[in-house]
Amino acid sequence: MRRGPSAFNVASVVLGMAFLYLPILLLVVFSFNASKLVTVWGGFSTRWYAALFQDQQMLDAIGVTLRVGLVSATLATGLGTLAALALSKVGGFRGRLLFSGMIYAPLVMPEVILGLSLLLLFVAVGAPRGIWTVTVSHATMTLCYAAVVIQARLVSFDKSLEEAARDLGRTPVQAFFDVTLPNIAPAVVAAWMLAFTLSLDDLVIASFTSGPGSTTLPMRIYSQVRLGVNPEINAVSTLLIGLVATGVIAAYLVQQRRKVAEDAV
Amino acid sequence: MTTSSRLNIGAVRCTFAPWEDPTAKPLIRFEGVVKRFGDDVAVNGVSLDIYEKEFFALLGPSGCGKTTLMRMLAGFETPNEGRITLEGEDILAKPAHKRPVNMMFQSYALFPHLNVEQNIAFGLKDLPKDERNDRVLEMLALVRLEGLARRKPDQLSGGQRQRVALARAIAPRPRLLLLDEPLAALDKKLRDETQFELVALQERLGMTFMVVTHDQEEAMVMSTRVAVMDKGQIVQVGRPSEVYETPNSRYVADFIGEVNLFEAKVISADGVTMTLAGDNCPAGYAVREDDLLSPGAAVTLAVRPEKIQVSQDRPPAGANGMAGKVADIGYLGDWTTYLITVPGGMTVRAARANSARIVERPIDWDDEVWLSFSPDAAVVLTS
Amino acid sequence: MSKLRPLHRGLPALAPFLWLAAFFLFPFVLVAKLSLSDIALAMPPYAPRLDLSKGLAGVSTFLHSLDFDAYRHMVEDGVYAAAYLSSLKFAAIGTGILLLVGYPMAYGMARCPPKVRQALLMMVVLPFWTSFLIRIYAWIAILKPEGLLNAALGWLGLPPVALMDNDPAVIIGLVYAYLPFMVLPLYSVLERQDESLLEAASDLGCTQFEAFWRVTFPMSLPGVAAGALLCFIPMVGEFVIPDLLGGSSTLMLGKTIWTEFFANRDWPAASAVAIILLATLIAPILIYQRQQAKLLDAQ
Repeated sequence: MRRGPSAFNVASVVLGMAFLYLPILLLVVFSFNASKLVTVWGGFSTRWYAALFQDQQMLDAIGVTLRVGLVSATLATGLGTLAALALSKVGGFRGRLLFSGMIYAPLVMPEVILGLSLLLLFVAVGAPRGIWTVTVSHATMTLCYAAVVIQARLVSFDKSLEEAARDLGRTPVQAFFDVTLPNIAPAVVAAWMLAFTLSLDDLVIASFTSGPGSTTLPMRIYSQVRLGVNPEINAVSTLLIGLVATGVIAAYLVQQRRKVAEDAV
Repeated sequence: MTTSSRLNIGAVRCTFAPWEDPTAKPLIRFEGVVKRFGDDVAVNGVSLDIYEKEFFALLGPSGCGKTTLMRMLAGFETPNEGRITLEGEDILAKPAHKRPVNMMFQSYALFPHLNVEQNIAFGLKDLPKDERNDRVLEMLALVRLEGLARRKPDQLSGGQRQRVALARAIAPRPRLLLLDEPLAALDKKLRDETQFELVALQERLGMTFMVVTHDQEEAMVMSTRVAVMDKGQIVQVGRPSEVYETPNSRYVADFIGEVNLFEAKVISADGVTMTLAGDNCPAGYAVREDDLLSPGAAVTLAVRPEKIQVSQDRPPAGANGMAGKVADIGYLGDWTTYLITVPGGMTVRAARANSARIVERPIDWDDEVWLSFSPDAAVVLTS
Repeated sequence: MSKLRPLHRGLPALAPFLWLAAFFLFPFVLVAKLSLSDIALAMPPYAPRLDLSKGLAGVSTFLHSLDFDAYRHMVEDGVYAAAYLSSLKFAAIGTGILLLVGYPMAYGMARCPPKVRQALLMMVVLPFWTSFLIRIYAWIAILKPEGLLNAALGWLGLPPVALMDNDPAVIIGLVYAYLPFMVLPLYSVLERQDESLLEAASDLGCTQFEAFWRVTFPMSLPGVAAGALLCFIPMVGEFVIPDLLGGSSTLMLGKTIWTEFFANRDWPAASAVAIILLATLIAPILIYQRQQAKLLDAQ
């Protein structure tokens, strides 16, 4: 039996969590503040949400961000799945070292470098900067995250399942679609969601690679924030946090329910 | 094997022996098969025939190459050298999914996202729908899982999963069924039952089975023939009783069952009985002469524990008698094992069936006892 | 026979391989090339440009006009060296504080009952999914002179503190933003630890603290290394945090690249800084990558 947490353990966790959540909580609370001043509570109000929905520039930025996110996450998940499959093959293949390097390096690479290098590429090939260059850049950055998430699932995936499928008359490609994919589907979905959120959040790479008319939401928020704290930003942030939190908590609850169902058997 | 035609070896008589018929055509033939992984040689020149309707066991310790041999048949590994044919046709040209060979995986490899029914139907996609459903029902009945068709694998017990894996592998009616350690995941009692069930099933279906196992009991109980493997090579092939009673090497004698090995030197031979000298038996050994050996040859006598009698009385002359002291006694219920120290310092293992409940003069620790075995009991090993 | 690694096994890798080669690897060549160019009043604002219409002569002219001016300028101007050192300093201090904060937290989580552990894990992951920018923005309202922190201090009768637009604010931001990256790898090694090892240690006469220090901690070192690298590397190149929370005197390389590029339109200088940053980080990145590969193989 595991010993229970000590008072010190509990205190570290509680303080750590408070540190993580207090700023977010304050931000959410003050998005409902009637006053324009952050430090003064002027009563409950949803006026900043109303203002948000009349801010055409903000709405445009949301539209751009969603489009970029949907397309880049889908691209990244497709490519990331293939990359994860290649990485999890036993015995490896020629060029594997370079390949795994290209998968892991972008995870820790400062975004400023990624953004700058991608911009130079688009300038060099004469691609007009806009929504497509941002999409391609985001897909590049997030495909590595997707690959790592899916690979983690593939590591625990019993390779003999694929062999069993081939033994029972499936070609390797059929075996992938009939057996592997249904079994790694949760990880593929998680990878897509991660890629989508990362794209939704990115400021630096988008700033380098976007052009006129393709201002993303983080870019818009950033330019507002530079001018100071603004309750409208609190409102849009609250909406974003709510969206992501709902997704993550829902995924967590589904996972818990499945676990409970498994334990019941 | 010359000995088997002259003597009745073992307690089982079986008329099914296609390997003794020179006109019989093998179902599977390995010819000089070699498989290397980098610098390691997993399978080193294996030639082997397996006949239709056999229940063939590949037996050996882990890493001996038995699993690799099986995976080459299934199509998951390709040999570096040699040929594998099925009814005379080269199967190496075919990918795994086109071979009429199915495998029951050690992990069972049941698809977790499919239920029992869908798992069994997985290999039947080329059959028309009606026929497929009929086959699935037939398989469910065969392995007695009718009520569980809609269950997912994680809702089944170990024994039930094993039966689903079996049903799924035999559903496409393969020419050959491969079983990779089929009983390894089951507990002892279930394993004992399942052994006999598998044999009954194989006979009913008339299918050829090849099983890979490291468990000698499993191999002995189920198979028509056993191939003992060591370091990528087949050391001996034969009926279970032949491999047990006439092992051809110290390795086989030692690997299958318990054995006492006495080092000895040939003194004389008269065509019926051979006399030998050795440190452990001052009076000299007398054993049946099976092969011609010249005096002075160094040999090893292999004697199974159950063929050694333990007695408090001195045995008659010529019965390979050895005086010794009881070092340890292991009571197993049906059997009792005695460890007895004999001259020369060797510890001999002798086993006695506990056929009577009441023993008049039980043997105790440190008792002085006599060991003996009949001239028939010893196998003379020259390698 | 030699050990041939079959190419076809890597077949699924082909598409992502080409993608990353085109959009990740190749652009670095361009950054390197540009760092050797000179600033120009044109669009794009650098020279020389490779003119292939003049054939080999064009290539030769191009190669000859590449120089190390951007780098020389960097050595001569002390601001760059200061930014370089201060980036490393910020990242090192940030990583140190993160270890001190993150380790007890991860350890406490690992000691909780499994059900609670799952929920706590989700709570650590959740901020990781929420926008970095928004989470830093949340701190502005707290730290600014007339912000929530000083309001609270005033209410308690304490003097206000200056924690905005300066270096301590950057450290707070770094620790806050990277805390999940530190806690997760630490938690994953601590959670997997076999409880019977601690029982064995106390059976052999260790006090609880000794058992921690001689068993738990050494065994968690791979997690410490992973967490430290995962935080240190991107922190060196961090832009958003020093930009929003730091003052005008806060120097960090990520901010320098941004300023050179967007404000000064000096693309060669931005590229040269990027190359220097990359050269600094390449060793820790390789160590991190090898460690990840080992971890995955071990599973």
